[in-house]
Amino acid sequence: MQKRDIQITNRLGLHARAAAKLSHLANSFSSDIFLVFQENRVNAKSLLGIMTLGASLGNTIRVECQGKDEQPAMDKIAALFERKFDEEK
Amino acid sequence: MKILKGNSASPGIGYGPVHLFNPEEELIDRKKVDAAEVKTEIHRFRNAVKKSKAQLKKIYNNVVKIMGEDSALIIETQTMLLNDGQLINGIEDLIRQEQIKADWAIKKTEKKYIALFSKLSDPAFREKRNDISDILNRLLSNLKQTNHAKSVEVIDEVVLIAREIPPSQAANIMSKGRILGLVLEEGGETSHSVILAKTLGIPTLINIRDITELATGGDFAIVDSFSAELVINPLQGQLEEARIKQKKYDLYKDRLKATTRKENRTRDHHSFDIMGNIELPFEAELIKSYNANGIGLFRTEFLLGNSTIARSAVEQGVIYHNMARSFYPHPVVIRTFDIGRDKGHHLIKGTREENPSLGTMAIRLFLREKELLIIQLKAIITANSHRNIRILLPMITEIEEVVTVRKMMREIAADLHRQGHPVHMPPLGIMIEVPAAVKLIRSLKDLVDFFSIGTNDLMQYVLAVDRNNSEVSYLYNPFHPAVVQVLIEAREEIRRVGKEVTICGEMAGKVFTALMLLGMGYRSFSMVPLSIPKIKNILTSIDFKYVSGVVKKLVGFGSKKEIEEYLIEAMFRKYPRLFSNELVW
Repeated sequence: MQKRDIQITNRLGLHARAAAKLSHLANSFSSDIFLVFQENRVNAKSLLGIMTLGASLGNTIRVECQGKDEQPAMDKIAALFERKFDEEK
Repeated sequence: MKILKGNSASPGIGYGPVHLFNPEEELIDRKKVDAAEVKTEIHRFRNAVKKSKAQLKKIYNNVVKIMGEDSALIIETQTMLLNDGQLINGIEDLIRQEQIKADWAIKKTEKKYIALFSKLSDPAFREKRNDISDILNRLLSNLKQTNHAKSVEVIDEVVLIAREIPPSQAANIMSKGRILGLVLEEGGETSHSVILAKTLGIPTLINIRDITELATGGDFAIVDSFSAELVINPLQGQLEEARIKQKKYDLYKDRLKATTRKENRTRDHHSFDIMGNIELPFEAELIKSYNANGIGLFRTEFLLGNSTIARSAVEQGVIYHNMARSFYPHPVVIRTFDIGRDKGHHLIKGTREENPSLGTMAIRLFLREKELLIIQLKAIITANSHRNIRILLPMITEIEEVVTVRKMMREIAADLHRQGHPVHMPPLGIMIEVPAAVKLIRSLKDLVDFFSIGTNDLMQYVLAVDRNNSEVSYLYNPFHPAVVQVLIEAREEIRRVGKEVTICGEMAGKVFTALMLLGMGYRSFSMVPLSIPKIKNILTSIDFKYVSGVVKKLVGFGSKKEIEEYLIEAMFRKYPRLFSNELVW
């Protein structure tokens, strides 16, 4: 199991478009991927789930990956956050 | 044979078999199902998902074509939600575990997510609950259609009799088949179904008490709105008479329609504009067929009946854009949401108001419920690629309201600009509906681009009369000296600030009031589509100079009776042939 705390640095946080990108990416891995923020733990493969987290700029969320491809999954997801979801040019 | 008296609400004469209409309450099926039916429910649900996806795809394609991919994000998000396991499997699990109807499972799910989103601290995320509601409501309505597909009946070639027709059903019922006549137990002249009847040219009578009990399905009826009578099971002679009357009226209508091709000028070459008021988009065709100069009042309240559209700038934008394109180069004046004047609305939260027509309604309501207004303004601004759209604000009472909306518009434009959309800011106008607004015209000089006078409400607020209250409606009269003077004052004030003004109340669509307004110097009139040929016929047949001379004399009178009589008498004297045809009225 991979665990990593990641800070949200894109301006709009995990809003619709970023959430869509994240769930899309999560769905390309076979591992189970969860996001934990405050009291909530949601499936990263669900757009709806991510949106219900309500995580904004500056918040830190925990990403958990478990499965065969947990390592590449974690790296790719962390990279997406780091690139600020490619939304700021 | 029975003759019943009513009030005529839409002109004409029609006859045919009676169809009694009972609006069924739309209820969510809160039912348990047995184990065997669970499978059917899952199947129904999956069909609704499929159907919703197909609809969204269509909408998406339209939106992308017109406004680009960025604008289509909302639709894309909704499509993704339909593919979202957590949501879709969650609903299916609910159906299975609790053994309930799919409809109920969807409602339960909506409640759950609304609660979840409402707890979030970031308002941008809280708003996402609307996306969930939208998509779940779309599923729900698709579920209903698959459920009742067989029971949808087209009402055709009948005289329709009902207690009332709910606004949400009026368009559907009345536009599918040909309704020969309409009789309502309730319903004012400005109720949704009556306005629709006028548009569609359906002869209509209202206020016939207990009619739904007096008439039965097998009856035959004549609806005669000239005599304001409903004849149930007429004698042969009466039917013959109705036939002749109908023919005469049809001839008159045809002749009128021919006059709509004439140029908009009085006999002495004084030009004017005639535009149409629109309640529902399909009325546009009728207005065009009358060669009108555009839409002077596009009422948008019907959009609020559909939460998906009300909350989606993109879908609304498509509607506005199509309307603007189809009337180009003529203007399309879009009035922002205007509800809450009489009965209240589900959007109005909090306690029932003692005095709704003096309370939180129209712009007041939407400056509080900002979200919907912002969505609407955004939709209008993005739809203005033909640059013929104008925005009209209802019920302005003070300058601050206009300032606030201007600011919203600037912010929306700046946002759109940042996102790389070309922005063509539509001109902004206000409705003059309260006496206070007349006194603000000078001060609004630099804040508004045009004015529009809603005479129905202006009269109501000048005279302190609820026109739907039959006890006092005798006071509601356009020839009241105060009304006449307020209209003259408004005209002068608007001339002073050098802006355009349109009259868009009922006064514009009635013969003698339209003449009076023309005489005051108003030259732009917007009315229910059906009145267009009639008013055009009158205004092209008179001399502005003469009418204006007559109207100047009106300020000398102190009673409405004197004013009305003087005006009518003067018109008859000068144009006896024009006014002797009783159908002109």
